Order: sequence, then C-alpha cells, then structure tokens
Amino acid sequence: MTTWLQEQFRRYYTRPRIRFPDRFPRREYALVPFEEQHMQRHLAVKTREDLQSLLERRVPAHIYYSSAYYETPDAPTMAEKGWMGADLIFDLDADHLPGAGGMSYPEMLAAVKQEMIKLLDFLQEDFGFEEADLAVYFSGGRGYHCHVTDARVQTLGSQERREIVDYITGRGLDTQSLLQEKTVYRQGNITQTSLEMPLPDEPGWRGKISREIIRFFQSLLDAPEEEALQQLTQFEGIGPKTARTIYQGLTPQRIQRMRQGKFDQFPYIKKMAPHLIRRSAVELRGEPDEPVTADVKRLIRLPGSLHGKTGLRVEHVPLGYIDQFDPLVDAVVFDDSPVALTLKKGTAISMKNRSFDLQPGSHTVPAHLAVLLVGRGLATVDS
Amino acid sequence: MDIYVLARYPFLSEAKEVVRRENVRTEEILHDPIYERARDIGRQRVTDALEEGVVGSYPVASETDALMNIFSYPIARMIVASVGHPYFRGRYALAEAKRAYEFLQGESQDFLLQVARELEVAVDDDLRLHFADYLRHAPTRSQRWKLVNMPLSQGWLSLEHRELARVLQNAIQHRLFEELRDMRPPSEISNVFRGEVTAIRNTLQQREMREKAEMGEASVTKLPPCMRMLLAAIQTGANVPHVGRFTLVSFLNAIGMETEEILNLFAASPDFDRERTRYQIEHITGKVSGTDYTPPSCASIKTWGLCPTDKMDAICRRVNHPLSYYRIKGRRRK
Repeated sequence: MTTWLQEQFRRYYTRPRIRFPDRFPRREYALVPFEEQHMQRHLAVKTREDLQSLLERRVPAHIYYSSAYYETPDAPTMAEKGWMGADLIFDLDADHLPGAGGMSYPEMLAAVKQEMIKLLDFLQEDFGFEEADLAVYFSGGRGYHCHVTDARVQTLGSQERREIVDYITGRGLDTQSLLQEKTVYRQGNITQTSLEMPLPDEPGWRGKISREIIRFFQSLLDAPEEEALQQLTQFEGIGPKTARTIYQGLTPQRIQRMRQGKFDQFPYIKKMAPHLIRRSAVELRGEPDEPVTADVKRLIRLPGSLHGKTGLRVEHVPLGYIDQFDPLVDAVVFDDSPVALTLKKGTAISMKNRSFDLQPGSHTVPAHLAVLLVGRGLATVDS
Repeated sequence: MDIYVLARYPFLSEAKEVVRRENVRTEEILHDPIYERARDIGRQRVTDALEEGVVGSYPVASETDALMNIFSYPIARMIVASVGHPYFRGRYALAEAKRAYEFLQGESQDFLLQVARELEVAVDDDLRLHFADYLRHAPTRSQRWKLVNMPLSQGWLSLEHRELARVLQNAIQHRLFEELRDMRPPSEISNVFRGEVTAIRNTLQQREMREKAEMGEASVTKLPPCMRMLLAAIQTGANVPHVGRFTLVSFLNAIGMETEEILNLFAASPDFDRERTRYQIEHITGKVSGTDYTPPSCASIKTWGLCPTDKMDAICRRVNHPLSYYRIKGRRRK
C-alpha cells in the first residue's frame, strides 16, 4: 500500500534534480525503502537514465552513494569491489555539537552552518583546495556535508585522512610549544622571563591561535566592562578577582605587543589557551567518536535526493551563498497546496518564511510542512 | 650525475641507467670474476638489512668501487626477491632507505629536490611540500610530525632540510618496497646465492618462532589499558561504539583467540546475544567478510577517543601499537 508520503516522493522522483557525482557509474548506491528499515546495498548504475529509473521505480525514503569509486561497484565484498579512491567527505551534524540538545531545529541548523563556515576556512586557507574541488550540501536533515574531489587526496588511505581530521579538530596540537616562556634578562639570581606567542601571520595552527587570542582580547577591550568581566569568568580557573586584574591590564599597547608575539607578564593566558583553541577548531565527531572523514568507503546522501524524514532536498549550497542559505526556504521542494492532517505533538517551526505554532489536533497546512511533519512521525494525513 | 654520488643512491633511475649502459648480461653479473666485488657488496647489503636494520656504507675509493657499489644493488634486490618473504622485503626497503637518509642529510637543497621529483613527491622551489605527499610519507605517528603541528598554508608546508630528508627516507622505502613486491627474480639467482637465501630464510623462521613464543598463550592479563577498558565496558553492558568493538575484537583475534574464546569473554554482558555476537566477531575476524582486519594502532585508538590517557603506563609510552604492548608485557613476565 502506498502511503501519502510515498506518493509525494513519487511525484518528486518523476522529475528530480539530481546532481550526479563524478564517475557516477563507479560508485556503489544504497537505498532505504519506505516499507522497511533495512538498507539495500551494492547497487550500481551505468547511465544517468539507469539512476533516474531506479529512483522512479523504487521511490526510496533515503538514497546514498559511496564516497569511494570502485572497479566493480556492485560486487558484494570490499575485496571484490576493487577500491580505486574516494572523495574526502566531511559530515557535520547537529548531533556532534555540544549543547545541541537544548536548541530548536532552526537554531541547530544555524549552529552547524557556522561550523561549516569554519571548516571551509580550513579547507581553503590551510589545505588550499580550489573552489572547483569543494561542494557543500545541506543534508536534508540536521547537518551539512562537504565533498572534496581534489585528485591529490582521493587516493589517501584512512590513516592519512585521520591526520586531516585531527588538523581540523585540533587534536594532538602541541600547545606547549605555542606559548613559550623565554628568558629575556638574567643577572645573578635575577631572572626575567617573557611569555612568547606565535605571530598572527604564521602559517598553520600557530597563526590561527595567535589571531584568535588577539581577536579575543580586542573584543574584550571593545566590550563594556561588565560584559568583558563576564566573558572572562566563564573560563575555568578565572574568578572575579583575576578577571578584574586581566581586564585592568588590558590596553591597546598590550594588544599591539601581542601582534609582535609578546605576552609579557601574563600568566593567565595559559589557562585560557585550551578554550581559545577549541573555538578555532571544528566540531567534527561522527557516530559516538567515529571520525567519519577517515572512512575511505562511506555512504553519503545523493545530492538532489530527498531526506525521508523531512522531505527536504539534499541541496547544493554555492560557497558564495552559504551565509544567506536557509535550508527551510532553499531546500523546500513541495508546494503550498493545503493538506489536512492531525498533529500528535505541538510544533513550532518556520518554513518558507512563514511561522507556524501548532497545537496537537487538526490543521490544514502547506504540503511542504505536511511532508516534514508526517516524515518525522509527528502527524498523520486525514484521508 | 657523478658516479660517486650515484653509488650512494643506487636506486635512482640514473644509477639504473648506468647498469643498463654497461650492457652486461645477468649471467656475467652472477658468474664473471669481474663482478665478484659487486656480488660481495650485494650479499653485505642483504646481511646488513637482516642483522642491523640498516645497509652500511662501503668504501668507494675509485670509480671501479663506485661502479661495483652500483652493481651490488640490483644483485641485493634479486637475493631479497628470491627469499620471497614479505616481511623481509619490507625490512630491506627500510634498511636501504635509512642508508640513503644518512647521505641525504649532507646533500644540497637542489639534490633533495631532484630526488623528491624522481620519487613523485610534490616539492616546490622553496622546498615546500604538498600536504598530501607529506601525509603519505611523513612519520605522523609521533606528535612532533603530526600535520596539526606543521606550518600548513594553502596546501603546502615548509620543512627544514633534515626534515625533508626524513620524509624522503620514507618515500624511498615505499618506492623500493613496491618495486620489490612486483619483482620476479631470474631462477639463476637461487643457484648462485642458494647458501645466502637458505640462511636468511632460516633466520627469519627462527625469529618468527621466537616472536610466537613471546606472544605465548592468549592471555587477558597482558592486555594494554585500552583493551582492558573496552573489555570491562562490554562485560558490564556499557554502550560501546562500533569502533570500540572492532578495536577489541580485531586485537583479541590478532593475539590468537578463537571466536569461541572471545564469545566466552563477552558472555558476561547482561544483553549478551550469542549468535548475533558471533556474527559480529566473525565479520571482523574475516570468517564472514573475507577481510581479516588488523587491529588499529595507538594513533587510531587515540583519534577515536578510546585511549584512556590517564591509565597509560610506562609500556604505553614506548609503543605505537597495542600489539607491541602485549608482546613486551609477555616478555617481562618470564
């Protein structure tokens, strides 16, 4: 029996807007049908029409393709598939964000987008990837994906990919050598030391940390005293008294000295450094502690397909548009035609710039919202 | 390139070209008294690799010496290939690469660049290395070499002379290993070097037996802290992520535990499902999937957040792999 939701998906898949991955005939495809939870794997397609007809025939709730490309993508085991290489995939999901539990759906999406913007800075500035080799997608659910198709990284193994993840998340960073105590003056038993920090224009993490430290102290200097003190006391080990000392010692001259790599007598920074490092890093953890990017054969949602729990499209986000991109406008595919449904749970959401604050019970809502509510199991369509 | 320089790097294509240009037949190299010295050095290269782990530098006083050094290299490779032992191929490649590293440190930047190009390691004119090749060849297992601690900018990172030489050592090792893997030695070789080949095989076999003995009966008391923690978590029914199960099972399999033994260890778990667990174990140990996974290294375990850093002990700090921990622990108990 075809459900209402399935019927909506079927209509979309008669004329979908799929973005075909590079070398799409070399990829493995996998789908989850509406009727069952089990994933069907090891599918392959030879032509665009094959994939099109697969979508039309099967109308999947979810469809994925492999980041890897293979000699024989439909072979049942890895050994028989013959791994040839794989795109580098970054999967940022609200689940990986600290504090996501207390956020609304749009807030989560906005927070993940900020992480993606940070990630893109790493990929372009540190790793030097060209725009043509980067593609960002809204996942249709609670996150964003970034696909890197630079040929130089496609043949990297999982150990090497893990190094890239570690770079972006700041794991294994040698923080001790970032802030070093240098002896500047010594006579008899009088020793004067100065704390040195990296210069803002140094390459790699050293410059990144330096810029973050300067930015942070500049923002303290610019903020009203109350706010600055409050910011400072948020750091572990910094009480109101220490915060005041730091704030009072903060002058434009001191920040100028920081730009030259000098901290002078400023021992508190050592306590603050780990937190400032965390702010510069990207939150990028997969399934409990699983670094998704290091996987050389992961399955990723097919761009242009629909997410079975939201009806939103896996939408390409042009790099220059990411700031304005709003998934609840830009990834909506279904129209505004009215649908009568029964809501089980109260829901507040804004879609296509229209806010809804719905109590449990009967409602008539636009089709795109109906798809999302039914997909998530929050409502049933009245027949 | 100078023939004396080539004697230090006999694996470079230019050195191979020298051998080719001399236009001697394999037969002559193997039998002609003129090449006696080359055969001796060839034997020495292989013995050094086996015994010392690094190929020595042999005196080069004349052009003939240099030439004999260059010729000794293909001979050594033929011996290694006819031993036909994957572990020994790796060891020999490493031993040659280490020798090259010792020389490379004293060479000019231009020379390093030239070697890098031949090895297809992307280095620009300012001696900056592309990160992808850095990741392929740098010893990133140690914290100092981790990419996160390198001055990466726009995809490139600059290295000091000595660091670049070190990266090239690994690139050489990888290249030589690949070449050896694909090499089919002429059958003649095992006649001429029969004694050497047999002796090496025996030594390798003895070493393997010694290692097996060190490994001993699979025993839980020798487990490193990470594995003990994972095992305890599974036995108490705590939620262990998939990578955690994978890490533990592949490790227990590698120390010689059978599926049944692993099952019995896991049986303490309150939600233990024997058949489901058996399937999962056999998937990892290769009975179902056809792939026999090797247990992950310390670096991977750390990345996955499974290394209990507060429980690390002295042995942990010495090793890069949990299996090394297990071996050392076994040695100590005797």
